[in-house]
Amino acid sequence: MIQAASGDRAQNPILKWLRRNALHSIVLPVGITIFLIWTLFPYLWILATSLKPNRDIFVNATIIPERVTLEHYRYIVTSSDFQTYFRNSAIVAITTTLIAMLIAVFAAYALTRLRFIGREFVARATIVTYLIPASLLFIPLFQVAFQLKLTDRLWGLVIIYLIFSVPFSTWMTISYFNTVPSELQDAALVDGASRVRALFSIFLPLSLPALAVVALFTFTVAWNEFLFALLLISRDSQKTIPVGLTEFVRGDTYQWGRLMAGSLIASLPPVIIYFVSQRWVVSGLAGGAIKG
Amino acid sequence: MGRAQLSGETVPQPVPAPDSGTSTRQRAWLGPEWKLGYAFTLPLILVLVTLVAYPFVSGIILSFQNKTIGGQARWVGLDNYIELLTGDQYASVFWNTVRVSLVYTVVSVAVKLLFGLLMALMMNEQFRGRMLIRALLFLPWATPTIIVALTWRWILDGSINGLINLFRVEYLGAETLIQFLADPDKVLWFVILVVIWQGTPFYTMMLLAGLQSIPSDQYEAASLDGANTFQRFRDITIPGLMPAITITVLLSSIWTANSINFIYAMTRGGPSNATMTFPMLAYEIGIAGGRQLGMAAAVSVLFFPLFIVAIYILTKRMLSSEGQQ
Repeated sequence: MIQAASGDRAQNPILKWLRRNALHSIVLPVGITIFLIWTLFPYLWILATSLKPNRDIFVNATIIPERVTLEHYRYIVTSSDFQTYFRNSAIVAITTTLIAMLIAVFAAYALTRLRFIGREFVARATIVTYLIPASLLFIPLFQVAFQLKLTDRLWGLVIIYLIFSVPFSTWMTISYFNTVPSELQDAALVDGASRVRALFSIFLPLSLPALAVVALFTFTVAWNEFLFALLLISRDSQKTIPVGLTEFVRGDTYQWGRLMAGSLIASLPPVIIYFVSQRWVVSGLAGGAIKG
Repeated sequence: MGRAQLSGETVPQPVPAPDSGTSTRQRAWLGPEWKLGYAFTLPLILVLVTLVAYPFVSGIILSFQNKTIGGQARWVGLDNYIELLTGDQYASVFWNTVRVSLVYTVVSVAVKLLFGLLMALMMNEQFRGRMLIRALLFLPWATPTIIVALTWRWILDGSINGLINLFRVEYLGAETLIQFLADPDKVLWFVILVVIWQGTPFYTMMLLAGLQSIPSDQYEAASLDGANTFQRFRDITIPGLMPAITITVLLSSIWTANSINFIYAMTRGGPSNATMTFPMLAYEIGIAGGRQLGMAAAVSVLFFPLFIVAIYILTKRMLSSEGQQ
């Protein structure tokens, strides 16, 4: 770089190098470092708190743990309440995802490949539904859930979660089915395959990786859902993790060590999913757009 | 951004087998595959009608009623609205909520856009470890919102044990503690800070996808014409990003304004209603304190018109692939 500056025009080579590379050599690393610190320090704080004995959290507080203990993790992992919350979350999130995907795959096929009256309208309604804020619906839904006895039941939550998971996964699936070339299906149909066969033997295999990502997103959203879980569930045995965690801050005693240990464990499924599907996330977002 | 394109079926389809039960005229009107079409979309339509359209309409009806949980509904006409807008008990809270919701949403969205744009521009450069750093920077997006809120509550805790206060005392020699979440003048800004922390990665991802869709020959041509970095940014990057920016800002405005998680877990709308956004107010009136479902529904209905424009534009953009150009 510096040799390049030793041309006929006598200039300060350092200045010239700076001018050419300032963006890449200074602004970029500094900027990325700032954003990394800003993004990551809360995680380090979660980790630090979860490893400190209570005495070091409340009495002789220090930022960096002086004594490391796994007592909070031991408590969380062996706590029957936490195990119940974790299991409930898994049941609700997995069931929601399976039902939503099943509905989405058939609907998306019909909306992209079948010709029938009202197709445009149904597609439009799906998007509008996806965009309608839950806060507008939660008061009437709370009432409906009470009338239908959906409260304090895991399957009640599953039904409510279809509100956002079905429009979202249908919309994402539509965008993937649109990329399947029509010729493939036409050939199969000419050969006498039925529509259902075409869906299962052509569309599903071709868009399987994409569908897996849609399913992972749907799972994550259901796993993280808080508002309706809070509204509809009051029995401990039916609570999911997001609501269960807030139990640790009930009243005046803040069990921060346990809370942070529990938070770390509860974040694992979505975070692992996210790291696994990371490289599809940007294109997935471009295709459909997910909650933010 | 929506790649989906519903009128994408251009290749002529094989003629379906003649359907003996339906006349040709009926088929022409209902579409050649209407039976299968509706069979496949029926579950979707059921969800849309029973879980969204029905509650939506019943919410509007509810807002004209005096109704408590389990109690009898009484029709009260516009009373709930009049009470919220001008009444003695709720009007001051309601108008405060309008102000708080606007500040909360506008400031959060503006800063998220700024940070997201900066992050996306940096992530669009080539450097070593880019994929790893990208994965790390997007982590807040994958972390459950309620956990983010609880963690930040612990970071901002007003006691000596909260991270910021601890840091100030341990390393900066501070002698007073800052009550981040208990001071009505400051609390909203700290809640907004947390919203920004979690929401920025979504902007980064959307804008990064937008940046990557700008053809690189545009930059090369501009460089040949002698455009400098700033001119290229102004004349190519920003116009090229506008569709992504529009969609991201609209989506995020809807979600930010309507999210209750941060407020619920950090402040419950307090202190002194300083962080009372409208979903939190609806929750407080309808479920937590007042148990007045009708009044709470009216709160939601009053805010809905703000979102209609955003929903309208987004629907149009997401349906037409032309929208992204």
